[in-house]
Amino acid sequence: MYYCIPRTVNEALQTVAEHPAGAFIAGGTDLMILISEGLKKPDGLIDLSRIEDLRAIRKDEKFLILGSAVTMRQLARHEDIPLCLRMGASQVGSPQIRSVATLGGNICNASPCGDTLPGLLVLDAEFLLKSLKEERRVKAKDFFLSPKKTALRTGEILVEVRFPLIKLTGSSGFAKIGQRRGQVISQVNAAVWCTLEKESGVLSDLRIAAGSVAPVPLELTALEEKLLGKVLDDETIEGVRQVAGELIAPITDVRATEEYRRAVMGSLIVDALRSALEASGRWKGGNK
Amino acid sequence: MTGKELRIVGRRVRKVDGIELVTGQAKFTADMKLPGMLYGFARRAGQPAGKLEGVKKDEALKIPGVVDVLTAEDLPGPNLIGVLPPFDQPVLATGDIRYAGESVAFVVAETREAAKRGAAALDVRITEVPPILTVDEALGDGARKIHENGNITFSRKLIKGDADKALAEAPVVVENTYETSFQDHAYLEPETDLAVPGGDGRITVYASCQSPFHLRGLIAANLSVPAGRVKVVQSNTGGSFGGKDDVAVEIGILAAAAALRTGRPVLVAHERGESMVGSNLRHASRITITTGATKEGKIVARKIKIILDGGAYASESPFVVMKALIHAAGPYLIPHVFVESTAVYTNKTYAGAFRGFGVPQVTFASESQMDELAAKLGMNPLTLRKINALRPGDATATGQVFKQSVGLLQAIEILEKERLPEKPEDPSDRYLYGTGHSCMLQGISNGAEGVDVVGATVQVSQDGSALVGLGLTELGQGSRTVYAQIAAEELGIPLETVTVRQVDTDSVHDSGPTVASRSTTVGGMAVLKAAREVKESLLDMAALMLQTDKKEIYFQDGFAILSKNPDARIPLREVATAAYWTGHPLMHLAFSKAPEAKYDHDTHQGSIYIAYNFGAHRMSIRIDRWTGEVRVLEHLAAHDVGKVINPVGLEGQVEGGSLIGYGYAHMEKIEESRGIIRNANFADYAVPSIKDRIPTRTLVVEEANPTGPYGAKGVGEPPVAATAACFANAVSDALGVRFTRLPVTRQDILRALQSGAATHGGDKNG
Amino acid sequence: MKISFRCNGKPMQLEISPETRALDVLRDTLGLTGVKEGCGKGECGACTVLVDGLPVSSCLLPAAKLEGTEVLTIEGLRKPDGSLHPLQQAFLDEGAVQCGFCTPGMIMSAKALLDETPRPQVEDIEEALSGNICRCTGYGKIVQAVMRAAEKSEEGRHDG
Repeated sequence: MYYCIPRTVNEALQTVAEHPAGAFIAGGTDLMILISEGLKKPDGLIDLSRIEDLRAIRKDEKFLILGSAVTMRQLARHEDIPLCLRMGASQVGSPQIRSVATLGGNICNASPCGDTLPGLLVLDAEFLLKSLKEERRVKAKDFFLSPKKTALRTGEILVEVRFPLIKLTGSSGFAKIGQRRGQVISQVNAAVWCTLEKESGVLSDLRIAAGSVAPVPLELTALEEKLLGKVLDDETIEGVRQVAGELIAPITDVRATEEYRRAVMGSLIVDALRSALEASGRWKGGNK
Repeated sequence: MTGKELRIVGRRVRKVDGIELVTGQAKFTADMKLPGMLYGFARRAGQPAGKLEGVKKDEALKIPGVVDVLTAEDLPGPNLIGVLPPFDQPVLATGDIRYAGESVAFVVAETREAAKRGAAALDVRITEVPPILTVDEALGDGARKIHENGNITFSRKLIKGDADKALAEAPVVVENTYETSFQDHAYLEPETDLAVPGGDGRITVYASCQSPFHLRGLIAANLSVPAGRVKVVQSNTGGSFGGKDDVAVEIGILAAAAALRTGRPVLVAHERGESMVGSNLRHASRITITTGATKEGKIVARKIKIILDGGAYASESPFVVMKALIHAAGPYLIPHVFVESTAVYTNKTYAGAFRGFGVPQVTFASESQMDELAAKLGMNPLTLRKINALRPGDATATGQVFKQSVGLLQAIEILEKERLPEKPEDPSDRYLYGTGHSCMLQGISNGAEGVDVVGATVQVSQDGSALVGLGLTELGQGSRTVYAQIAAEELGIPLETVTVRQVDTDSVHDSGPTVASRSTTVGGMAVLKAAREVKESLLDMAALMLQTDKKEIYFQDGFAILSKNPDARIPLREVATAAYWTGHPLMHLAFSKAPEAKYDHDTHQGSIYIAYNFGAHRMSIRIDRWTGEVRVLEHLAAHDVGKVINPVGLEGQVEGGSLIGYGYAHMEKIEESRGIIRNANFADYAVPSIKDRIPTRTLVVEEANPTGPYGAKGVGEPPVAATAACFANAVSDALGVRFTRLPVTRQDILRALQSGAATHGGDKNG
Repeated sequence: MKISFRCNGKPMQLEISPETRALDVLRDTLGLTGVKEGCGKGECGACTVLVDGLPVSSCLLPAAKLEGTEVLTIEGLRKPDGSLHPLQQAFLDEGAVQCGFCTPGMIMSAKALLDETPRPQVEDIEEALSGNICRCTGYGKIVQAVMRAAEKSEEGRHDG
């Protein structure tokens, strides 16, 4: 088995062109398990984690741009990152995993329960995919096809994730629940992004997405529409709790039942909204 | 000053073997790497029931690095294990496949990876048979027999008075059925054994294990050699909780057999998944209880039927049956009791010993019913328990009377004195609050399971330091520290100068298994006796040196001191040196034999245990009715431990045992479908993390136990049962609905709230 | 492939097969058996070591990733004079050790925390140790030990 440590994206692309049976590795926290269990047998590993461009968090005029090899730990501690993504990143696996696991890894692994994925959906994130031949941008909502399946083609690298700077002007939040509190895989997670009208607190823009409730991370557009123009008072909140469970397509698996996933969906959305608005003192969700 | 007051026993002391652990120097079995060492890996059946038609080794032997493959025919002995009759478990499957984790072949190779690849490459032919996965199927008419003798592993009855008659006449009767799930030990170190062939026809097995003499006996039997040819050395053991017994034997035999065939050391280190599917669990259970009481709350009778799901093999099922039988009626004075306790075979991972040993199951059932009875009587649950609590001189369910060391009432009274935590101001209706209580007892010593004897040696060297040896094992619980304290106390020497030796079967006495909360009580007593015998010898010497009667001398801080004139003192090392040169014995072997159990085998009436640990717990919780999430606000754990030897160790046992009980009651659930465990890993099997810890506070009652050292009695197991039971009662209190099945997970809580079953806090619109 | 890194302060040059786990290199090649394997899947924390100061599950780390890094294991924690690190001493003093199998990883996670946050709150400790499972202690004494070590280190700074 070979192990390459390219220093540029192009070098990495050339390497994989020469070794099509090789696998990209970033943090390796998912891949290593697959390899040691014999579920993946690449003939070599191409390590993306030392490509400087992929490790940067930067802004241009329009976008916040995250390199795909930015670690969960970096994301969780970076103040420019919207809360929905930061909180998600800060709850992926354990501290040990977050030290090395990358945003690109969480995305390309495409697990329905990935904790950064709903955040990316509500931020309208776009992924830059590069191959030797071309580069293209795919929207987060179009990227995830089914569990573990994405729009990424052989020979392509996810280079960066970007979302419009305007997203930084809204509030965002995240909530998840699992079988325990520490180091846990989400039974259900939820991310929200919203803006409120200054005086009235009316929701002027709202995005809601959830994970582990469908084959891919799911945006709850029907619920967004229902809530736009409303104030998050007790009644609205109760409404979210009652209907959200009907808008998802969860399954029963070893971690949770379909019934439970439906039952907590709305509560997690409310908790995500609370985390979004509480920080700025704008949570008007009454007593809830 | 007379040296009579305790100076080391009862003090907060550090773990005597702790430095090696905090520095990473301690060697666990997998930390040993020997020249030429091979790695063993078992191929498992992968299906819960079937007929093994054959194993073809060829493909595995072609894998580079694979050295040898063993199947049942390659084992030199009877291919049979089990820590007690009926000895029904093969090391490697022969005909019947009885559970999915059953080992069918064993591959040894130059590397762990090669062994694993070899195991996967084996051609194993199994004809499927429909598995029997529930106790009802197993007990059903015409059910396929999992073992020759049928599907009942073991069954016993306890009969005291006439429960049926008393229940018929009782003014108040409650009845319910309760169920509990399997639980995995989840010790951090998976099971590991290393077998090393010696040049002298002997074999040494280094093992992460609880009972080295079980290993020695069964390894020798399965190799068809005399026991003395096998030496078992207990390595540092990364947790056991009852679990590293049968499985340590199984892999010990495989490693030893392969080591003999290849002439090379063989290491077997289970992976986490193997640890969960291929070693014993806590029995799942179904328990029906009927309780009759007077209107004033005096319990007159209990009738109890216990069915334990023991999985594919007997393991410790017979003893767990008995322990559940004896403890099911609870720590109460009840004139009429009938209990029937039965273990049943199913095609699942076998169940066996796990901290608590049948008591957590019955305590949950019994204590749930106490709350139901209190509700029916309109009585405070703790008051009901107090009215019925066993007092000194009362007869237990087996009719045994303890005149002392029955501290249940004191434990309850401690709880009563503690004010309930204040409900935080919560203007939302999001949270529900509840408080639950539990009382329990747990027999100390082997009791009805067999004669309880420990042999311990204490040896004083010329420098005045001491070496203690006995066959009970340190598993993290701190028993070495307790033994060192006792020896230091008795000999009047500093704790740091006492060493408690590693258990190896060549050098210590077979002290029986390290189980049943007996280490401190029975083991400690043996150390105390041996230390006293050595002390007598040293006193004789010191008397000669100080030219006085030995009654005038006491030992303290490493000196022999004259009572009348404490300035007259000789260092003990001088006494020990003189004793050595004059032939005063400096080493003694002493036996502590617990009073034998004497009881009627048909009714289980008689004396069973040498003492009981009594406990009363209280837990206050907050439930998020949106998600079912629970926060434990307070957990009080009061136990009558007779006498505290090391408060740090005691708290560690109570806090750790309590969290295992909490995991059992709330979080941990073996998810199995069609006989295959689906969550054999720490991501999906939810062992509590540090964020799930509970604020356990240890409260102590010291009602001296005449059969233990300084009055002590063990506390290793009891907190598990008490915590699980009071958690269930707290949830039931918060929701206003009785939960009859453990674990009560977040999902169960939310279901109760949304289905309208809960009378408090349910979703009206849900 | 050849890798160079520093381990417990000493320079290392090793020939490794790249898919080898860092855990195996540390344990088998370097004999640092204080690094424990409890699950092999990054779910228990027993194999935690610090790589460039960050806690990492060495069972999930390909050894190739050690190239150019600074690795610290439990074996590198004792002071040069052989005395215990404040965390080791506190774990011992507070009774935070029972079977000891989780202890090295637990202490390494705690070390990473204290290096970054010398005076942690209870919540910080719980967060930092949330990837380390302990089945023996119930965790209470572990939290106390980390608190105690933090206090001691602080005193040391003021004194020294």
